[in-house]
Amino acid sequence: MIRYVVSRLVTAVVMVLLATLVIFLIANTVPGDPALAALGDMQASDPVQVREFRARWGLDLPLWEQYWLFLKRLAQGDLGISISSRRPVLADIIDYAPATLELATIAFLLSLAVGLPLGVVAAVKRDSWVDHVARFVALIGVSAPTFWLAFIMLAIFYGQLDWAPGPGRLDPIAFPPDRITGLLLIDTALAGDWETFRDAAAHLVLPSIVLAASTLGLITRTTRAAMLEALSQDYVRVARAKGLLARVVVTGHAVPNAMLPVVTLGGLAYANLLTGAVMTETVFGWPGLGRYTFRSAVTVDFPAIMAITAIVAAIFVLVNLLVDLSYALLDPRVARA
Amino acid sequence: MADQDEPGFGRRPLMAGAAGMLTSLLAGARPADAQSSARRGALVIGLDISDALSLDPVRVYQYSNPLPTRAAYDGLVTYDAGDNITIKPALATEWSYLPDGKTIRFKLRPGVKFASGATVTAEDVRFSFARHLNIKDQPFQYISHVESVAVVDATTVDLVLKDPTLPVISIIATPAFGIQEKALVVANGGTDAADAKDKDKATEWLNNNSAGAGPYRLTGWQRNQQIQMVRNQNYWRGAPGYERVLIRHMSESAAQLLAIQRGDIDVAFNLIPEQIATLKNDPNISIMGTPSLDFIYMAVAEAPSNPALQNKLARQAIGCAIDFDGIIKNLAGGAAVRPTSFLPVGTNGSTEALTKEIGFNEDLPKARRLLAEAGLPNGFKFQLAYGNAAIAGVTYQNLAQKIQADLARVGIVAELAPMDQVNLRTMFLGGKAEAVLTFWNPPAPENWLWTSATVNRVAKRVVWDVPADMHKLVADAGAERDLAKAAVLYREYQKRMVDFAHHIVLVQPVYQVAVRKSVSGLNLTAAGWMADLAAAKPG
Repeated sequence: MIRYVVSRLVTAVVMVLLATLVIFLIANTVPGDPALAALGDMQASDPVQVREFRARWGLDLPLWEQYWLFLKRLAQGDLGISISSRRPVLADIIDYAPATLELATIAFLLSLAVGLPLGVVAAVKRDSWVDHVARFVALIGVSAPTFWLAFIMLAIFYGQLDWAPGPGRLDPIAFPPDRITGLLLIDTALAGDWETFRDAAAHLVLPSIVLAASTLGLITRTTRAAMLEALSQDYVRVARAKGLLARVVVTGHAVPNAMLPVVTLGGLAYANLLTGAVMTETVFGWPGLGRYTFRSAVTVDFPAIMAITAIVAAIFVLVNLLVDLSYALLDPRVARA
Repeated sequence: MADQDEPGFGRRPLMAGAAGMLTSLLAGARPADAQSSARRGALVIGLDISDALSLDPVRVYQYSNPLPTRAAYDGLVTYDAGDNITIKPALATEWSYLPDGKTIRFKLRPGVKFASGATVTAEDVRFSFARHLNIKDQPFQYISHVESVAVVDATTVDLVLKDPTLPVISIIATPAFGIQEKALVVANGGTDAADAKDKDKATEWLNNNSAGAGPYRLTGWQRNQQIQMVRNQNYWRGAPGYERVLIRHMSESAAQLLAIQRGDIDVAFNLIPEQIATLKNDPNISIMGTPSLDFIYMAVAEAPSNPALQNKLARQAIGCAIDFDGIIKNLAGGAAVRPTSFLPVGTNGSTEALTKEIGFNEDLPKARRLLAEAGLPNGFKFQLAYGNAAIAGVTYQNLAQKIQADLARVGIVAELAPMDQVNLRTMFLGGKAEAVLTFWNPPAPENWLWTSATVNRVAKRVVWDVPADMHKLVADAGAERDLAKAAVLYREYQKRMVDFAHHIVLVQPVYQVAVRKSVSGLNLTAAGWMADLAAAKPG
């Protein structure tokens, strides 16, 4: 088992480095010039200043040397300085990551809390109204464009009904709590500032529902399909034949067996939520990593792009690893193998 | 692993629990009285601030950060809202050129205090300019003809120019040249020494705090989230009307629209014309229009790849075949004007009437005649590049398609080449583009900043070998300190620019800003910092 984990971790490091290499090569083939993107109009027109800028940011070095420098810094835990924000990339990421982490986690929990029971019930009561509702929710969740859904939610629940607060993480006039983790729910709770906690929680409702929508759809569908398969198995028929309560058959026999594909999907979905919230963040004015990633890409900010690639790749590889390890817990056959 | 004794997935309790939690969270989460006392004491501005790189004045040159910079720092001189021609006193009460012709002597307003309570002295002024001269970030480029700054006495300071023919007073009205409190900046790592470019470490502090004598004091900046300011009790024009100013980052105009309708923000800067139209009948909101000094123009290069474009008459034909009024009416919702050439309406010597008189105007027979004279009676082809962006609701894409359709009427074929902004900039600045739709916004309302750009760096982009008399005209107009005489020279400049036909200015937007009626005294300006917050107050 330990050997397995170690070998997987080694592969993970290789995978992450490969991902950064691929992105580095792609980013270097686009015609856009990071120096011209970062400099003001007058500076960008002065060849001397453009040359100085390239030298300062190492953009004049041969490609392999630039990549080597990136690796060397990475090994020392240094992600470099962002060309567009002129701050250490790590500081930028520490600034932006908590907003995304908080939103993605709440959205993930929400999609599990709704998607799992909905999928199970839909399978048990196949073709009942619950099943139709579940299928409808799944269809809308998976197919509604996030951008559209975000605006519709905002327009209805904020603009028309005035039930939910507007964009942003806090009310504009609220004083943000002292930063401890950057996660507002935790920081306000630690400070005992329940009014701001409530404000932060209320601001999370709409964006987390929007962000959860597609994941919720996927989880509902996968759970339903896996449950249908499990319910058609012999051991379920045996359990029923023994006269066990229907509830016990479902929760005790079918659900544990249906969980494997759901766990796989759930892991990937969480990684997706962490890295792919650009649209939701844009509409809800959410100062998260998605917006930062987008901005880094359009300004050809190499250090930021590389750091984010490494982090995104690491998140996916790690989540995959955790999912695989959890199989051992969920399925004794895997652990024995 | 499932425990048989567990009640299992009781769907109803769970789902009902989730719904109940949501309801109780949201119930009362909305401050029903959006006009509570805390809210009345704060001016909340909705603005896209994602472009801001720094709030350290020496590094302020993007689009949105001059607004908070001007609120935190007063400069020696300023422009009043609505007048971009006459320079007005601020921290300096008077100024004049000394007999040597190259020294400008400023007399400081006595007794003005920084937000910290310290008095503004000539040494603070010297420090602020010296920091620019030695850090050499973008704003320095606009005053690179300043040789030195010298303290004469506690309230008198001299600015010495290398080239006295170049204008400077109008340029230092811009927020980047706000006066910084030396003691505070130095205490936080700042320096004005010759090696300040590497040694100055105050920027990080100045990004979250300010050291100025403006109406508000910066207390924090969460990137892509908000900028917070508090009232400067010592403000020399009298205590400002709000306890706090919050500039809330909202990149989506639709979100800004909802937020101002709900009263969560008091001012919305980035609404597009259709959204403005929906607010026209809102009893709580007024729409303020301010003609900007920004414009969208088409640069037409004498591209080596396109012999037709090297012919002046062919370029002029383009200018005569565009339906300018249609662009303003249909694409900009009527909220725009159009200058004659590379000097926006509202600057010295540029008016809309002049555009009708000597500018490009739609005239198809003339366009055909010009094409015939150019030896291209059947028209010609060129590539028109543009970015995936929009200015005041006008997308480059729509504009390009409109121009394509207009030019087709006289046989000119514009091949559209959409691309991302960085690629576009790389191509255009490298002088590789045939024609480009792009945007110009000025750092300060100084005509010379536009005109010198056209005959220098922008000329390279359109592969224009500028004749010596054109350079002389620009230099003479810049050196002319009499506004009326300068206006005559600028008229001549615009006439020549139309004749060369490298820059066809299409749209100069009238920015429309939505303001809650609970705010009064907010003065919008086109001079480069969006609004003067000093006089804004509740009610």
